[in-house]
Amino acid sequence: MTSVADKLRFEPLRLPPELDELRADVRAFLAETLAGMSVVKRSHSWESYDAEFSARLGARGWIGMTLPEQYGGHGRSALERYVVVEECLVAGAPTGFHWVADRQSGPLIVRYGTEAQKQEIVPRITQGKACFAIGMSEPNSGSDLASLRTRAERIPGGWRVNGTKIWTSNAHRANYMIALFRTDPDPNKKHAGLSQFLIDLDKTSGITPRTIQNLAGGRNFNEVAFVDAELPEDALIGREGEGWRQVTEELAFERSGPERYLSCFFLLRKLIDQVGGKASSATLARIGAQVAWATTLRNMSLSIAAKLNAGEDPALEASVVKDLGCQFEQALPGLCQELCELEPSLEGFGTEYQQVLGSLVQVAPSFSLRGGTPEIMRGIIAKGLGVR
Amino acid sequence: MNETRQILEDSVNRLFGDRLDWDALTRIEDSGFPRQLWDEVVDQGIHKVLASEDAGGMGAGWGEAYAVLRACGRHAVPLPVAEASIAEWLAAQAGCVLPEGVPGLLTSTLDGNAVAGDSLVLDGARTPWGREAAYLVGVAARGSAAELIVADPAGLEITAEDNLGRDPRDTLSGRARVTARHALPLPADCVRWLGALARSAQIAGGGAAGLDLALQYAAERSQFGRPLAAFQAIQHYLADLAGTVAAVDTISLAACEALDARGMASDGRNARFEIAAAKCRASEAVEKLTRLSHQVHGAIGFTYEYGLHFVTRRLWAWRAEFGGAGEWGEYLGREAVAVGGDGVWPLITA
Repeated sequence: MTSVADKLRFEPLRLPPELDELRADVRAFLAETLAGMSVVKRSHSWESYDAEFSARLGARGWIGMTLPEQYGGHGRSALERYVVVEECLVAGAPTGFHWVADRQSGPLIVRYGTEAQKQEIVPRITQGKACFAIGMSEPNSGSDLASLRTRAERIPGGWRVNGTKIWTSNAHRANYMIALFRTDPDPNKKHAGLSQFLIDLDKTSGITPRTIQNLAGGRNFNEVAFVDAELPEDALIGREGEGWRQVTEELAFERSGPERYLSCFFLLRKLIDQVGGKASSATLARIGAQVAWATTLRNMSLSIAAKLNAGEDPALEASVVKDLGCQFEQALPGLCQELCELEPSLEGFGTEYQQVLGSLVQVAPSFSLRGGTPEIMRGIIAKGLGVR
Repeated sequence: MNETRQILEDSVNRLFGDRLDWDALTRIEDSGFPRQLWDEVVDQGIHKVLASEDAGGMGAGWGEAYAVLRACGRHAVPLPVAEASIAEWLAAQAGCVLPEGVPGLLTSTLDGNAVAGDSLVLDGARTPWGREAAYLVGVAARGSAAELIVADPAGLEITAEDNLGRDPRDTLSGRARVTARHALPLPADCVRWLGALARSAQIAGGGAAGLDLALQYAAERSQFGRPLAAFQAIQHYLADLAGTVAAVDTISLAACEALDARGMASDGRNARFEIAAAKCRASEAVEKLTRLSHQVHGAIGFTYEYGLHFVTRRLWAWRAEFGGAGEWGEYLGREAVAVGGDGVWPLITA
C-alpha cells in the first residue's frame, strides 16, 4: 500500500547551540524593555503597534535579520530570525509596527523591487521605522481572494487604482502598503489577471483608510477606499499577472511562523502563575497537556523553519501547523475558564491573569480568520493528501 | 531524513507489509504467537537496533529505532518488538548481553526487596508476552540506584490476559531464578518512561495506518454519485486526521532524538520532558485518530472483516499503557508550576 502518511513528515531540527547566546541577549533585552508595560498590550503581541519599541528592536539589529547587508539588513540565517521572533511572541513584545515588514514585505522588496526601492525602503524596514500594511481582502472577496476586483489600470507614466480593500491592519498608520490588484479584467483570467503593487502611503493621494472598530473596542484594521489613486510606473512589484503566484509564495512565510501557535502563550504563563501551587492533579494534567501541545507545535514549526532555511517550499506543512496551532491557541481561553474560577476582566481590573484572559478571550475568534481560515487550510491539506 | 532511519523504515515496512495482511493478523489472533515471523525479526536483527555491537546489535540510537517502533504500530505487529528493543537498550546501558529468545519485559519497577541473591519474587507482575518469554528482564530500585535483573521464568505462575489489541499482557507471580544482575546507570523507573516513548511511536504508526486506510477508502467508495473524497466534510476530516498524525509523529521522533542527545538520568532538563510531552500528546490524540478514521469508513470499518480494528483496538490499548494523557500531563504540569509562568518557555526551549 502506498502511504500518504509517510510523505507528510516533520523532520526534527535541533537549533545549533550558538543560537543560545542570541536567545539570551534577546531575553535580557525584552525583560528590560517590557518591564512595566501593560499586560493587555503585551497580550496582543504581534498585533500591538508600538513604533518606539520597533525602533529599539531595529537598533539591536533584530529586524530584517535575513536581508542583505547592502540594504541595511544583517545577512543572518532564517533560524536566527526565528529565535528572535519566538522570543518576542512569548514575551508579549508589541511587534505590530514592524511585523509585516519583517516577515514578508522586506523579503518581497529584496526579491522583486527595483534597486531604488531596495535602497530607499529596506534600510527603513531594518531600522524598525517603516510600517507595512497588506491589502488583500475586499468587501466581496474574503476566502475567495482571487475574485477580487480592485482595478489598477495603466495610464501614461503609471497606474490608476479604483476599488476597496478591507480588514487591512494598520492601513491608517502604515507608511507603505503591498496590495494585490486586478490588472487584467478578462473574466477568464481570474488568477492570471492579478498583480502586486508597492504603494508609498505617505506620498499617494486618493487613498482613504477608515478604521473599523473590533468587538473588543480596538482600532487596528481598516476599510481602505482607492479613488483614482495614481501610482508611479515602478509601483508594480514583480511581474504583471504574476501577483497570485507571488502572494502564494509570501503565504508560506505568513502561515508557517510561530505566531500561528503562540498567540495565547502569554495567557498560559499567567494561568500557571494564577493557579500555581494550589492546582489539583486534574488541573495540572490539563496544564501539562497544553505544555505538551506547545512543545509539539514548536517542533513542527522549527521543522518548517529548517525547510525554509534550506530554500524548500513547505506550503503544505505550514497549512498543517496553522490549522493545529489555531486549534491549540483558540482553545486556551476556554480552558482557563474551566480550570480557574476567576472572571475575565477589562484592562486595569483584577489580576494580570484576569486582564490577559479578558483581552484574549475577545480576540481569539480572529485567530481562525486571519491569514486563512481553517476551512481554507484544510482544503489545502486535502489537496496535498491527493483527495481534492 | 536521517539515512539509517530511512533505510530501516523501508526494510521493516517491507517485511511487515508483506507478512501482515489482514488475513495473517486474523490467523494470528486465532492461533497465537507467530513464531515464524518472530524468527524473521530475529534473523534480520530488527529487535536489536538498540543493542550494542558486542551483543550482535546495530548500536544505533532511539532516533533510528523510532523507524522500527513506528512500523510496529503501523502494521499492528503482534510481537514484542518494542519490548525487546527496550530490553536490548537497557542491556547496552548496563554493558551486558541478553540471552536468546523472546524477552519478557517486566513493566513495573521492581522493589529492591523483591530481589535477594538469585531469587526474584513477583506478585502479579505485568509482562507483555510473558507466556512466550524465554527470559525476564526488569529494573530493580537499589536505594537511589538501579539494577538490571535478568531471570528465568521457569516455575512462575502465569495468568494469561490480552489487551484490547489481543496482544498478550500476562501477569506473573511466584519465585524466579535470577540469572544476571548488572548495575544500571539509569533511574529505577526507566522502564515506564521507555515504554511510554515506545507506545508514542507505535501510536504514531497506528495513526498513520488509520489515515492511509481512510484515504484509500474515501477514494474508492462512492455515495450520491461521487467518491467520499469529493465531499468537503470528508476532506476536512482527512485533513484534521493527517495533522493529528503528523503531530504525534513529530513529537515522538523528537523525544527519541532528545533521549539520544540528553539521556534521562541527568539532573535538570533532560529527555524526560520530551518523552512526557510525546506520550501525553499521543494518548490524547488517540480519541481523534480512531474517531475520524472510523467515521470516514462508515459501517464497514466497524466490521471484523475489514480490519481497521487491528490498528484502532491497539491504539485504544496503547493510549493507557505506560500511562495516559492524565499521568504524563500531570508530570508536565508539575514541572511547569515548579518553574512558574516565566520559566515555562525556557523549559520548552532548553
